[in-house]
Amino acid sequence: MASHDEHLDELRELAADVLEVEPDEIQDESDFVETYEADSLRAIEILARIEKKYKIEIPQSELAEMRNLKAVYEIVARHAGWPD
Amino acid sequence: MLEHAQIRQILPQRHPMLLLDRVVSIEPGVSIRAIKAVSACEPCYAGLPDGLDPDSYAYPVSLLIESFGQAAAVLWLVSTASQRDSRPDKGAGPAADAPGNAAGDDIFLFGAARDCVIESPAYPGDVLCHTARLGRVLDGAALVAGEILVGHRRIAVMGSLIAAIRPARTIPRRGGTHHGIT
Repeated sequence: MASHDEHLDELRELAADVLEVEPDEIQDESDFVETYEADSLRAIEILARIEKKYKIEIPQSELAEMRNLKAVYEIVARHAGWPD
Repeated sequence: MLEHAQIRQILPQRHPMLLLDRVVSIEPGVSIRAIKAVSACEPCYAGLPDGLDPDSYAYPVSLLIESFGQAAAVLWLVSTASQRDSRPDKGAGPAADAPGNAAGDDIFLFGAARDCVIESPAYPGDVLCHTARLGRVLDGAALVAGEILVGHRRIAVMGSLIAAIRPARTIPRRGGTHHGIT
């Protein structure tokens, strides 16, 4: 199983692709909406790509918590059963 | 199979932006196959000069995607018709009572298209056959993927289309007609 850092980087790349920025521009705690001008559709795209990549389903109610990369990691880790 | 008259009951687009001619088959909640005939009499060919390279007369990619998006819209609207029909805020009136009618209900709006590859062009005389598959559906959004074929030839892959779903009443209307909303 990939390590914490590898998973974090995978998520960083996925989010960067959707937000149309370079992966190294995404800081762990920068707000997607405030820093990268994400809108509700981008958030849904990120969610959909994560679900497809890791074959999990994340309840839509948790979408609002996915405000930055760190929060995304925590939610995905919980649903994908990653050890922390 | 759904013919033009029935498509009019489902989609809000009208001439010249109604870009879906017939639904060949539909599995609600799963997938749809629908066709659109490309013709030289369409508005996009008006005013084009003679003597251009043949590929200059290719059907515009934006309209290929729009037509595919309308197939996806029919899939979603038919799939969710029974849920929307029972909503208390459903629009009143005869048009709104038709099954799957969008007039008083939700509009399927084009949000984004990713990983779409146009493999070869379409020309007047080609019949576009869209196959659209519904992916993740959330409250207010849906993802769709699929292909466009002309005969046996695949001309485009639609990797991922995301649509926003908004109540019709929240969308401003210009001059009493919808303009190109998918």
